[in-house]
Amino acid sequence: MFTNCSLGHCHIIVAVVLWSICVDSRKIRGISLSYKRFYRERKSFLCIDGSKMIPFDQVNDDYCDCMDGSDEPGTAACPTGRFYCTNLGYRSHYIPSSRVNDGICDCCDASDEYRSQTPCQNTCRNLGQRERAEVEGQTRVLGERLRLKQLLIEEGVLTWREKQAQLRDLQRVSDDLQTQLDDLRKEEARRKEEADALREREIGARETADNSPTSHYRPESPISVFKELDSNRDGSITVDEVQAKLSPVQDEEHALSEDEAVALLGGAHRVDLSRFEETLWTSLRTGDSVTIKGRRGVPGSLADEDPNIKAAVSAAEKASADLKRVEDAYETVYMEIRDLREKLSIDYGSEREFLFLHDQCFQLKVYEYIYELCPFSQVTQKSASGEVVSLGKWGSWAGPPENPYCQMRYESGEPCWQGPTRNTMVMLICGTETALRSVKEPSKCQYVMELQTPVSCQPALRQRGVHSEL
Amino acid sequence: MASFIERMCLYRVLVLSVFLSITQAVDRSNFKTCDQSAFCSRQRAMKPGQSSYTALLETLELSDSHLTVQLLNNNNKVLLLLELYRLQGNMTRVKINELKPIKPRYEVPDVLITDPPTELMSVLAQDEHRVVLSLGGEDWRLILSAQPFRLDIMEGPQVLLSLNSRGLLAFEQLRIRKDTKSQTDTEEAGEKEDTEKHDKEKVSEGEEEEAEEEVDQPGMWEETFKTHADTKPNGPSSISLDFSLPGVEHVYGIPEHADGLKLKNTDGGDPYRLYNLDVFQYELFNPMALYGAVPVLLSHNTHRTMGLFWLNAAETWVDVSSGQGSSEVPQTDVRWISESGIIDVFIMLGPRPNDVFTQYSSLTGTQAFPPLSSLAYHQCRWNYNDQEDVSAVDQGFDEHDIPYDFIWLDIEHTDGKRYFTWDNNKFPQPKDMLQGLLDKRRKMVTIVDPHIKVDSSYKIHTEIRSRGYYIKNKDGGDYEGWCWPGNAGYPDFTNPEMRKWWASMFAYDQYEGSMENLYTWNDMNEPSVFNGPEVTMHKDALHGPWEHRDIHNLYGFYVQMATAEGQIQRSGGLERPFVLTRAFFAGSQRYGAVWTGDNAAEWGHLKMSIPMCLSLGLVGISFCGADVGGFFKTPSAELLVRWYQAGAYQPFFRAHAHLDTPRREPWLFGPDNTALIREAVRQRYTLLPYWYLQFYHAQRTGQPVMRPLWVEYPEDIATFSIDNEFLIGRDLLVHPVTDERSSGVTAYLPGNGEVWYDVHTFQRHDGAQNLSIPVTMSSIPVFQRGGSIICRKNRVRRSSSCMENDPYTLYVALDSQGNAEGEIYIDDGHTFKHKTDKQFIHRRLSFTANSLSSSDLSPDSQFPTASWVEQVNILGAQKPDAVTLTATDGGESSVEFEFDPDTAVLTLRKPGVNAGVNWTLHLR
Repeated sequence: MFTNCSLGHCHIIVAVVLWSICVDSRKIRGISLSYKRFYRERKSFLCIDGSKMIPFDQVNDDYCDCMDGSDEPGTAACPTGRFYCTNLGYRSHYIPSSRVNDGICDCCDASDEYRSQTPCQNTCRNLGQRERAEVEGQTRVLGERLRLKQLLIEEGVLTWREKQAQLRDLQRVSDDLQTQLDDLRKEEARRKEEADALREREIGARETADNSPTSHYRPESPISVFKELDSNRDGSITVDEVQAKLSPVQDEEHALSEDEAVALLGGAHRVDLSRFEETLWTSLRTGDSVTIKGRRGVPGSLADEDPNIKAAVSAAEKASADLKRVEDAYETVYMEIRDLREKLSIDYGSEREFLFLHDQCFQLKVYEYIYELCPFSQVTQKSASGEVVSLGKWGSWAGPPENPYCQMRYESGEPCWQGPTRNTMVMLICGTETALRSVKEPSKCQYVMELQTPVSCQPALRQRGVHSEL
Repeated sequence: MASFIERMCLYRVLVLSVFLSITQAVDRSNFKTCDQSAFCSRQRAMKPGQSSYTALLETLELSDSHLTVQLLNNNNKVLLLLELYRLQGNMTRVKINELKPIKPRYEVPDVLITDPPTELMSVLAQDEHRVVLSLGGEDWRLILSAQPFRLDIMEGPQVLLSLNSRGLLAFEQLRIRKDTKSQTDTEEAGEKEDTEKHDKEKVSEGEEEEAEEEVDQPGMWEETFKTHADTKPNGPSSISLDFSLPGVEHVYGIPEHADGLKLKNTDGGDPYRLYNLDVFQYELFNPMALYGAVPVLLSHNTHRTMGLFWLNAAETWVDVSSGQGSSEVPQTDVRWISESGIIDVFIMLGPRPNDVFTQYSSLTGTQAFPPLSSLAYHQCRWNYNDQEDVSAVDQGFDEHDIPYDFIWLDIEHTDGKRYFTWDNNKFPQPKDMLQGLLDKRRKMVTIVDPHIKVDSSYKIHTEIRSRGYYIKNKDGGDYEGWCWPGNAGYPDFTNPEMRKWWASMFAYDQYEGSMENLYTWNDMNEPSVFNGPEVTMHKDALHGPWEHRDIHNLYGFYVQMATAEGQIQRSGGLERPFVLTRAFFAGSQRYGAVWTGDNAAEWGHLKMSIPMCLSLGLVGISFCGADVGGFFKTPSAELLVRWYQAGAYQPFFRAHAHLDTPRREPWLFGPDNTALIREAVRQRYTLLPYWYLQFYHAQRTGQPVMRPLWVEYPEDIATFSIDNEFLIGRDLLVHPVTDERSSGVTAYLPGNGEVWYDVHTFQRHDGAQNLSIPVTMSSIPVFQRGGSIICRKNRVRRSSSCMENDPYTLYVALDSQGNAEGEIYIDDGHTFKHKTDKQFIHRRLSFTANSLSSSDLSPDSQFPTASWVEQVNILGAQKPDAVTLTATDGGESSVEFEFDPDTAVLTLRKPGVNAGVNWTLHLR
């Protein structure tokens, strides 16, 4: 039901009045000029499909002789027949034969109801005038709309360039940050090594001095322990990592259960450094419940002792912090680039004429609901009580192959009760303003919207005129 | 929109708690089994044996019209009064009531069209054991046996039917409650045995003078189902009676059930239940009660067709048991159990199927003659959203050149489910909309349900309340229940004053926005009460002096009656009404059409539409249809097409769909399927003259329009169980394709010596054979009976009204003797003038001795028609040398013709005679 999009109401541009010369004295009802040659009065009539020859007086005699219905162009006798409304002064067209003399006025020239009791007026002249006026008006308006469209296309071009430039800039920043990151990673590693080496030395010295097996001097900072536990280096410690690296103090062979690990992480499945310091680090420092596997004693008290170590540790911490900061910045830039690329990868039409719709939203109130369309993003429905329901996220263009940009599909909205997810089809129609024109729900949870915009206006390709004919 | 609707649905789920289930099937636990229904359980615990009733022949009185005799219950000494009537038209009426009930028991009013005229009864013989009465004819007799009481209806030496032969007559007399303490409703398994033992003791003590003190049983004075208590201030009041039908193996009727045409044995399972209920997603092949109830059962064998009409509107259960009777003669036993009222049963003695239809319709009336357009195609959906939607759908039919006559609006068209109103936003200009349809000679139906929103600003409600027209709860306040609008009242349609007022609400100045092309649909009139027991009304609610218990199955009947009356009145009595109802009772045929309720888009439901409508047709309700496409769920394109093809050949032809399903207008499934649907609908329109004729007959004679084969071939045993094909009238046999990816069907063509013509290919087949028919997606196997003449209008237009003056094409299908007969009926299609002013044409068309002629069947009627005869096709013909037409004035002219030797079809070109005059065509 959505496959045919009209290219607007603009195809009738100029009224072309065709004057033809009267060629036949005998009026054969229901045929067009171009078919008149088949109905030249002779003794007999050949069905147009060539299937049968009948006497000419059986043409339009209200009995169907030809399979193709060609012998009864002016009556309702043939099921497959068609009747030509000449509609002088307006537009001529065919109607099915079954609409001849059925009591309903179909042709504006009233020619289809020549034997019914329904009085039909010839309204062609009025219709023609009205349509010509409309067409003229539309032609004028169309010019304006196409101008607006051009502006929007140009705006789109600018936006596109801007976005491209933005992307390039971001790329540069990203490269820059990448270089910084490399340096900082090296620096951090070096500082850490230094601090570790100092600690080792100090521990060695103390162990010699005090050969206690339960020595509590471990030259470790929360950061280094964090890093040690963070085996996959993702900047957080997970339950798995706790289970892999830690064991109870009393029994090193025993593994920690998941619940125990979660408890150590303060009830979370994943902690970052600062949460780590508040939770697991505290437990490790008190040293009475868990310890790092293969290690004795409580980490982290050593640095307080030696100013050299303290300085080295602090330098290492600073290097870590610097690295973290740049990593964060890199992450932010990376996300921006990703978003921008995603945006730029959307098909905005052959001339990127729909780009201007991006970042805009359009609303329409229908009865008790407010509908909002954010093109290329999402469609929502807000009820009077403030409840917002998703009617679909941007899916794809959905027009027919010859005109793909006349429909948008938004899909996978909130699921319906006992049914599939909500989705919305947006029909784009030509208009001066860009605005949401209508919202309908032909089937439950399947919405159809009309978005009017000058961008959907097309220059009139064909001039199908309102013409007159004898 | 959606979320609102969703809320409604969720609300429905919540309110009904388990009423709806996600499992997409009926939740059986919401509906009672016989065991869970105290009276059914009590009655069914009683086993066949010697009846405890004795007919006191000394009390026998015989008047001209009837016989009365008292029946004594030997156990409790309660006396009953038996009344026997011999009715005109070969029927017997048996009424049993308490001789002296402590208060009146309910007798169903308004269902019988008249007090049935009686015939003289005479006593042939009498002694102390029995009385033999003559039922007329040569040897029709009725034997009344005294001890134990039983009745036998005999023809010669043969018993046709016995009453109480298994001793299951039971009549719970009204009684004063012994204690004021309420009995608790407990499980009865253990106590049944006690009861039986108790009964046996009574029998053995039967000779004693004093009546045995009766012990109350559980469920007699109060009953609880799920959370619903049924206070029973009147105590037990149920009745039961058995009938034996020797020589009978096939019984039919007692709709409405989603089950096969032939009734099944209920031994070991639940009886068929008759209790109008709104069953959500009903199950197939099940004796559970559905939306309507017609307590009429037909029995049939090769010799005789009979009917039993159990005139009782309370909850009723029917046990059917077929098997070998004595001496290896097959026998069917039927037992009826009702919760209250009296025994009032009509025994229709046939002997032919059409006699039974005549007999039954003489009691409850015939099918109302519908407006011609209502026999055309109806387009419905829950819901067409707004005026624009209606106009787009209307336009869609024209764009795709598919005819339709009616477009329907479901509950969402109203202002908050306030019937007789319009949603101001969605339908701001209903008259403009209706005028738009009228301009295309089309019509609309809006829904008007009997639950009325309790809202002091709603005129309908305030009027009903102030006039005291609502049904009352047991405490005397207005009964309120939940339905679509939320809290709702239920007008007491059993009250004639209420019905009169309701009818007046359909006047054009009362129902704002209505016009002459607006008709009505009564849904939810079981009545459906979302928070009531079994989704219906509490049985202790009050309709004036009567409990809802007494009248339940009548409620929907009255709703449709009042609505149809309203439509007649608004036109000053001129126009025929069209009202569709979901709930119905015996006699509902007088008020319009019925559909099979909320079916589902499944092949099984498509198949089931045939036996369901056949069963309704057998009990008088001919204007029946099922939702084309299936209401719940979404049909595949193939199922939808097949359903259109089947629906096009069923009496009421309407597509409908649930709110939650995707749109399914005929053009949404690709051009191929659109073409298939268009063709099916067009076939319907070409046959409208035939359908209209069938309904004219149905109105006059009570014969069903859609018939099981056995009705026309009563001696052909092969037809007795067929319910996958059917006849329309006598002359069209339809075997719809109802299987997925079907490559062929086997149709049984009945009748030895009969010939049948495929209506599409004109191929001729002999009767009494199983014919294998290969099918494609476009096939609708339909056959015309040799010996018949069918009139069609082959110029299919946008609506049936547009075809009014169109010419006819006659299909003369010759039988093996080269003869054929048919009829043509023409009137204005929508008024009562055919009746009041005799404005109609009814003619016989007869082909014999190589002449086809039209003669007047109703010379005293007249109707001017513009229709004429454009073509005559003679099937099974031979090539003539010449064809001449003799017109009314005696003038002769020759008629052109063509003969196709391959199909043996002779086509006469344009005889051109008016359809309302005499003429003869001679083949030489």
